[in-house]
Amino acid sequence: MTSTRNITRRAFIKSQALMAAATAAGVSLPASVLAQNQAQQPEPDIRWDKAPCRFCGTGCSVLVGVKDGKVVASQGDPDAPVNRGLNCIKGYFLPKILYGQDRLTQPLLRKKDGKYHKDGNFEAVSWDEAFDVMAEQWKKAINRSMQENAGKSVDEMTSRVAMFGSGQWTVWEGYAGSKFMKAGLRSNNLDPNARHCMASAVVGFMRAFGIDEPMGCYDDLEHADVFVLWGANMAEMHPILWSRLTDTRLSKPGCEVHVLSTFEHRCYELADNPIVFKPQTDLAILNYIANYIIQTKSYNQEFIDKHVQFETATTDIGYGLRPENPLEQKAANAGVGKKLPSSFDAFAKQVEPYTLEYVSELSGVPQENLLRLAKAYADPNKKVSSFWTMGFNQHTRGSWVNGSCYNVHLLMGKISEPGNSPFSLTGQPSACGTAREVGTFAHRLPADLVVAKPEHRAFAEKVWKLPEGTIPGKVGYHAVLMHRMMKDGKLNCYWQMCNNNMQAAANLNEESYPGWRNPEVFVTVSDPYPTVSAQAADLVLPTAMWVEKEGAYGNAERRTQFWRQQTDAPGQSKSDLWQIMEFAKRFKVEEVWPQSLIDQMPEYAGKSLYEVLYTNGQVDKFPYAGKVVDSRGNEYKNHESEDFGFYVQKGLFEEYRMFNSGPDILKKGHEMAEFQAYHEARGLRWPVIDGKETLWRFREGYDPHVAAYNPDGDKGDVYFYGNKNGRANIIFAPYEPPAESPDDEFDLWLCTGRVLEHWHSGSMTRRVPELYRAVPDAVVYMSKDDAKKRRLRDGQMAEISTRRGVIKARVETRGRNRPPNGLVFVPWFDANRLVNKLTLDATCPLSKETDYKKCACKVERV
Amino acid sequence: MTENICSCIVHTRPGEGANVARRIIALPGVEVHAGADQDKLVVTIEDNAGAPAADTLGAMNQLPGVVNSVLIYHYGGDDLDDELGNTALGQTPAAA
Repeated sequence: MTSTRNITRRAFIKSQALMAAATAAGVSLPASVLAQNQAQQPEPDIRWDKAPCRFCGTGCSVLVGVKDGKVVASQGDPDAPVNRGLNCIKGYFLPKILYGQDRLTQPLLRKKDGKYHKDGNFEAVSWDEAFDVMAEQWKKAINRSMQENAGKSVDEMTSRVAMFGSGQWTVWEGYAGSKFMKAGLRSNNLDPNARHCMASAVVGFMRAFGIDEPMGCYDDLEHADVFVLWGANMAEMHPILWSRLTDTRLSKPGCEVHVLSTFEHRCYELADNPIVFKPQTDLAILNYIANYIIQTKSYNQEFIDKHVQFETATTDIGYGLRPENPLEQKAANAGVGKKLPSSFDAFAKQVEPYTLEYVSELSGVPQENLLRLAKAYADPNKKVSSFWTMGFNQHTRGSWVNGSCYNVHLLMGKISEPGNSPFSLTGQPSACGTAREVGTFAHRLPADLVVAKPEHRAFAEKVWKLPEGTIPGKVGYHAVLMHRMMKDGKLNCYWQMCNNNMQAAANLNEESYPGWRNPEVFVTVSDPYPTVSAQAADLVLPTAMWVEKEGAYGNAERRTQFWRQQTDAPGQSKSDLWQIMEFAKRFKVEEVWPQSLIDQMPEYAGKSLYEVLYTNGQVDKFPYAGKVVDSRGNEYKNHESEDFGFYVQKGLFEEYRMFNSGPDILKKGHEMAEFQAYHEARGLRWPVIDGKETLWRFREGYDPHVAAYNPDGDKGDVYFYGNKNGRANIIFAPYEPPAESPDDEFDLWLCTGRVLEHWHSGSMTRRVPELYRAVPDAVVYMSKDDAKKRRLRDGQMAEISTRRGVIKARVETRGRNRPPNGLVFVPWFDANRLVNKLTLDATCPLSKETDYKKCACKVERV
Repeated sequence: MTENICSCIVHTRPGEGANVARRIIALPGVEVHAGADQDKLVVTIEDNAGAPAADTLGAMNQLPGVVNSVLIYHYGGDDLDDELGNTALGQTPAAA
């Protein structure tokens, strides 16, 4: 053993860094370097522990180094199956997001003359005062709702209070929030920001498979022969997955990459078949591929006969705009999601018009590129993995286009096995784990249950020990509708947690801002930083983030990952979990429930919602010993458990498991392991049966449910048990035009999105000096021709306007994104130029997810 | 003042490892330790006067022959030149 004497920290750190990189790369170091570095002992005063990254949906595990109570170091976790020691630039700056100079440290309330006033200035207040004022506002609104709901059935109830949660919430934050709103306050007005990113994917899964989330997993990245990217810039948005894909492409003979988008981005550097299509025509391209497969008789007849059922979508369904909008008035079937029975022959006829010639003309893609793509899917000997993100999801036909991609995979039987994988990637770290699995949407309950079904509500009420009829049956307001309802004065209290919707929601000028600043509305924002949302709120609550609390996330491949609290939050900051539970103490059941409900369970009379929901004998079952200890003897704090006096996270998680893993659950297939298993493992992919995770769902040999549902099935065969008949649905959907297209006045397409350095609205990454310096401002990416036509040069300030608003940004024609003529791209991380003033709040009418990828704009010299 | 040290892996185009390594070491604060023959360079970057590690990393990505770079390790602290005493040995950076 070598002494550490007289070695500087620099030498230590460098040695650690070097060894970690060499190990992750699988590169052997020269003997001399190795000898010098192996002799050194690890940094003596840093405590290391694992945590999933705070940013995207990939779910990389990082090792977090804490010294003197501060996070000082991070390293890609070499034992993590997702990232295998790798990290992307955002992961590298993770420790720094905790220490932005303008961290909020105490509650702030708008006040005038010592009292709350909508037009007052922010003043620091205590948590008590903050919650007193907030509770007064909420009780006023709830009282109105109770009067309005008198005499109504549970299926007709509405509510004037809402919570806007997050795909960045921890699993237990989402669970506690759902329970508080849907059961405690009897309001289904709970929706996550995941509505803006994943809702179309969810609807796509439910319509085709009857159960949410991908059947495959990231292991497909090593098994596939062909990768197809549909509206996913993985190189910038999922760099670690891109790195795995790159490795496969460069090392596997015959491997090819097809990249589809409405503009060229970094992924095109690796593209064997680069395709730039006109916005919205992805619908037609997918139907062309289906048509090609049928015309060439390449389809897998046996698979279709055994495992597929054909349906056809209701068409002309509008654009999810306000009902009085002319586009909605004109639509024959606005918002109708009904599917009609169909057949293989009928489907073949429906896709027949999508010929190579027609689709090439419509999409602007050369025939040879389309043909090459279709051949890749149609080749029975090639394993194809399709990946998509916001290009598919943020789409006025998002639910359809997700489905049309499944159609292609199902026709070929290329699904649910290594390398053959239609895969919906997520943008947030727990869009799956929290928003979807816990069910923090306006229509959902935990584990794929929904509020509209009485038997699902009854099950939730039983688990939660609540009187029958507590949970309302009417679907609540979704994200976009919330802002409309606030503007209209029908929604009066709104609590936003763990996201930045004033910067995110489309149509800021016409809907979001007028809603938030409506004098009849009280807005609370919980955030670590003074975001655009915080500035537009009436009450701001300082929030503990990421490793300042114990947490759990679920990534895009169904992997649930836990972490422990590594450090204290600054000042009076508290986690969202603490805030929800503490706020619940402010409500007596008599203030929120009618007497008839309390009469069913008189033992709840006089109790607070905190007592009814969180000290119900289940959630408070596990004692807290004053610290959390890991298997190596390291000790960690847990600020919520400290305050509430029991192991809060464990209690909530174990109660949540009664929905997905209990003996009497209504929907199998989401099983999870017990709490402590996740603290030991690098995550587990559900369904977890007998402690074992599932890599590929719906196939015998990988997924134990298949044999249980279909005991007479062949070995290795598939069974889509999410649907009662065990079949997946191929659903025909046509090409229909977007809500708004360029015309003479607004003559360009506007597409929005992200860049590598900044995550989402930049509320964290823009506070890291290095990232801010690397990409300080959003620019407008456009073609050289389009710039020249408007007498604009690189770097020059331009005005970008739509029918809804105007912003200014500098022109970029040589950057990482290369739009074709007729389209511009503006990232939306920049709080100084809010691109959501420009975007239209048209949604997929089925998923209610906004289309951020296409509307009409013009760009002019300033 | 906080100083940064990080390590990363740089993937190069096939056969370009040695050439890219030569271009990379021309950047300030950068060392290439291994991997040129495998087109996967093991690189450390330190803050340098006027060239913070993050900027150098960004510059590296723009070099010809670079396909992709991935970060592995980062440390930021104001104590890099402290001598470490022979205190109790710590843990390896591996979590349970």
